[in-house]
Amino acid sequence: MPDLDIRNVEMRFGGFCALSDVSLSVSSGKFITLLGPSGCGKTTLLNIIAGFLHPTQGSVLINGKGVTSLRPENRDTAMCFQSYALFPHLNVHDNVAFGPRQKRVARAETQSRVSTLLSQMGLDLHSTKLPNALSGGQQQRVALARALAVEPGLVLFDEPLSNLDAKLRDQVRSEIRSLQRELGFTAVYVTHDQAEALAMSDEVFLLNGGRIVQSGKPRDIYFKPKTRFVADFIGAANLHSGPINSGAMTTPFGPLSVDSPNLSMSTVCWRPESAALGGPLSGVVSSAAFQGSYLDVFLTKDGETIRLQISGDQHLEVGQTVSFGVPRDRVVIIEDTDTGQANA
Amino acid sequence: MPNGLRIILLLTPGLGLVMTLMIWVLYRAFAQSFGLYNFNGDDLLTLSHWQGMFQNRRYWNALEWSGYIAVVSATLAVAVAYPLVIWLRRPFKGSFLLSALIKAPYFVPGLVAAFLLINVISYHGFVNEFLIWIGVWDQPVRMQNDKNGYAIIGLQVWKQLPLAFLLLSGAVAAIPDNVLHAAQDLGAGTWDRFRKVVLPMTVTAMQASLILIFIGAAGDFTFQAVAGPTRENSLATLMVTYQGASYSDWNGAAVIGVTLMVLSLLGSIVFAALVQIVAKLMERV
Ligand SMILES: Nc1ncnc2c1ncn2[C@@H]1O[C@H](COP(=O)(O)OP(=O)(O)O)[C@@H](O)[C@H]1O
Ligand SMILES: [Mg+2]
Repeated sequence: MPDLDIRNVEMRFGGFCALSDVSLSVSSGKFITLLGPSGCGKTTLLNIIAGFLHPTQGSVLINGKGVTSLRPENRDTAMCFQSYALFPHLNVHDNVAFGPRQKRVARAETQSRVSTLLSQMGLDLHSTKLPNALSGGQQQRVALARALAVEPGLVLFDEPLSNLDAKLRDQVRSEIRSLQRELGFTAVYVTHDQAEALAMSDEVFLLNGGRIVQSGKPRDIYFKPKTRFVADFIGAANLHSGPINSGAMTTPFGPLSVDSPNLSMSTVCWRPESAALGGPLSGVVSSAAFQGSYLDVFLTKDGETIRLQISGDQHLEVGQTVSFGVPRDRVVIIEDTDTGQANA
Repeated sequence: MPNGLRIILLLTPGLGLVMTLMIWVLYRAFAQSFGLYNFNGDDLLTLSHWQGMFQNRRYWNALEWSGYIAVVSATLAVAVAYPLVIWLRRPFKGSFLLSALIKAPYFVPGLVAAFLLINVISYHGFVNEFLIWIGVWDQPVRMQNDKNGYAIIGLQVWKQLPLAFLLLSGAVAAIPDNVLHAAQDLGAGTWDRFRKVVLPMTVTAMQASLILIFIGAAGDFTFQAVAGPTRENSLATLMVTYQGASYSDWNGAAVIGVTLMVLSLLGSIVFAALVQIVAKLMERV
């Protein structure tokens, strides 16, 4: 299976810079995610990898070979489009068989690939239907089967679950991941849903305003955000700014232990579920919502609000004063102190 | 009142009038070809006008000629329109002007266009004068009223291209970019994308263009009269000849008129079916 290397890619549309200096590499058989808010350039980057767009600068390498000038039809990639892009005049079977036929795969082999994929996707009964007779979830799975039928080395997913309802989304998500493990293709998966990115990926590349702002394993991205944008975008985050003296930052809620002795102005971040009841900090409950497995609590003090997620079997009343602590290793110092983080 | 009847009654004032007039005219032409509504004598139901026509070489020649002009013009117009439509699918600098130029002939009356063309290609016309002036030819070449009807076909294509262009651009524009990208991503090059995606998704528009141009060209009078070969007749020019001062054969003219309608109908059916078959075959190979 191929690996993918993207080097210093820049994409300009007229005066507008949709991607700047994007570099990333994916090793063979890995599943990586491009995560970021809508309009940050995810689809543009996929289109560059697939070959539908030419980067204004930089290069794309598949298996170490430059493909920047290779036409899309000659690249070992298959794209699963956000809008499905099924062929409306072909039935489900012929949609899936399109790629293998195009690549002159033997008839029997094509037939067996198509029927295997259709049964894997639970579409056996629909193989003679036209796409417009299918539900959104079924169309999505046809698109997936169609992309996989060419047995590509590199599969590009553009928000493939965004049009599905929550339950189906979970189901198709795990189908995609287990198919990827089984067939072993390298996957680049685009999403704006951080939960999806964390759940599926070997590695996450977080984009904002056309740049990669942080990359790493899901756990690192989640627990060690480098910037305020990353902290905010991935999950809920509590942020405090101020000087650190003797390993602690003074916050309205009390002294917060930080794994660093002394720093002038800095910003720290911790996750709501890192807090535990009982400790040196305290605040007044402004709301507490029971979520089943956890209790979602908002505490205020001196006009600041923070969020805690504690075990669902706890009872807290609004107006009650609560003391809590945050383990030192769960408090991260983030790089930027500026509060007006550019958010394109 | 049953629903069907109510709908018919509601439609009657508008549609009814149109239908009545249309059917009346069709019936009249049809009846006249069998000797009724005879202007030159007593009404007499007879097959003789048809029989007479069937033994007339000029009738068969005109039928053949009109069919030839119509088939070639329709095919050529569509064949020229397709690449233009695909080329102009995405806007670029100057594309707006170009597509306006392609559509312009629709607004030029056919007669004017035919005379313009004659001015350009006649024995002492612009092309001959110019080519002699720059020394390519040393004497004028006869291009007017050529015996293969190239001038008529050229005029037909020029005049009818906008129709094919408009119908096809609508259909091609309705194909989402992503669908074409998907085909390309799965390995389809330019030609394969055309025959496997664009063609099947625009086949109805192509049938409509072919049929409309075929019918228009089959019934042509103007171009034939002005720029056609002097030895040939189209059905329309022949019909006028029969009806005109020298013959005053209204029944014969009616036979030709009915023939023209039958040609249009059959031609449309054959064209539509052929396109369907060709498109299916091209998708396979
Ligand atoms: N063909 C184009 N011409 C001009 N701007 C474009 C074009 N394609 C994308 N853009 C712009 O590039 C930015 C990134 O787009 P896109 O990659 O689709 O974002 P995402 O997929 O992350 O939502 C957007 O601001 C979009 O408006
Ligand atoms: Mg997108």
